[in-house]
Amino acid sequence: MATAILRESTIMKIHYGTALAAVALVAVHVLMRLTSGGFAASLEYETVLANYRFLPYALMLEIILVLLSIHGFNGLRVILLELRQGPRYEKAVSYGCLAAMFALIAYGSRTIIMTNMGMV
Amino acid sequence: MASVDQEEGDAGREAGTDSQDRYDGAGSSSSSGSAKTAADGNRAGVGGMINPGRYGIERVAYWLMRLSGLGLLAYFIGHIYETSSILQGKMGWDEFLAITQTTEGHILLAIVIGMCVFHTVNGIRVMLGHGGVGVGRAARPDYPYIPASQNYRHKLGIYTAIVLAAIAMMYGLAVMFGV
Repeated sequence: MATAILRESTIMKIHYGTALAAVALVAVHVLMRLTSGGFAASLEYETVLANYRFLPYALMLEIILVLLSIHGFNGLRVILLELRQGPRYEKAVSYGCLAAMFALIAYGSRTIIMTNMGMV
Repeated sequence: MASVDQEEGDAGREAGTDSQDRYDGAGSSSSSGSAKTAADGNRAGVGGMINPGRYGIERVAYWLMRLSGLGLLAYFIGHIYETSSILQGKMGWDEFLAITQTTEGHILLAIVIGMCVFHTVNGIRVMLGHGGVGVGRAARPDYPYIPASQNYRHKLGIYTAIVLAAIAMMYGLAVMFGV
């Protein structure tokens, strides 16, 4: 169980740390949408492809993906543990959220890596 | 730190133990339809957790924080799936983009913007509170046992989060609809 490896207080510090870092990086991500020749133009295929192929931006997207996945699925875990408690339930929720987090990171990373490497 | 827990991390415990009822006096628990009595094992369940009726704006902030968090997680998963359509080339990307570039899509995105801003601002307020900022000095608990953290500073923080979320939603709608 995640809580057996990490103390709950440590998990909350990670939760807050990922939140603060994500706020800063997501702000950059949103500003890129607004400053790349307007909102609609920034979503055009060529613009998005160019964004993905620009390595620093692709790295930033990867970091955002990891930060928000950790924050989001830990938040879900906390909400689910507030609703119900019990050793088996808590274990299932913690491992379930951890698995979902890794699955989402893997799926998102696949898009970033394949696009950045010109496999599109 | 403990006083903030009474405010923000409150509802889970209140739903489970109904500790607030002891402070509110006899009969107060019956004023809420979803809240159960001690004879029921003090378990109001989900209904007790989301009931905003008896605990003021702090409870509203509590469930708005969780609802916006769940909404943002759902959007994030959808966004990851949506952006993966770029792997299908220009056709795939344009097809998926056309689904989102509708009036309904814009309204949904405006709601996401609102949730994001509220979650961020209220989250910073909660973090500051957990760090002891704006929760007042430690004092002896006296009747009517109002938590020190439930003060005007944090109430102002909650209202600020709601107002900023509304402004951001309007700005987002203006950008998306090209007003």
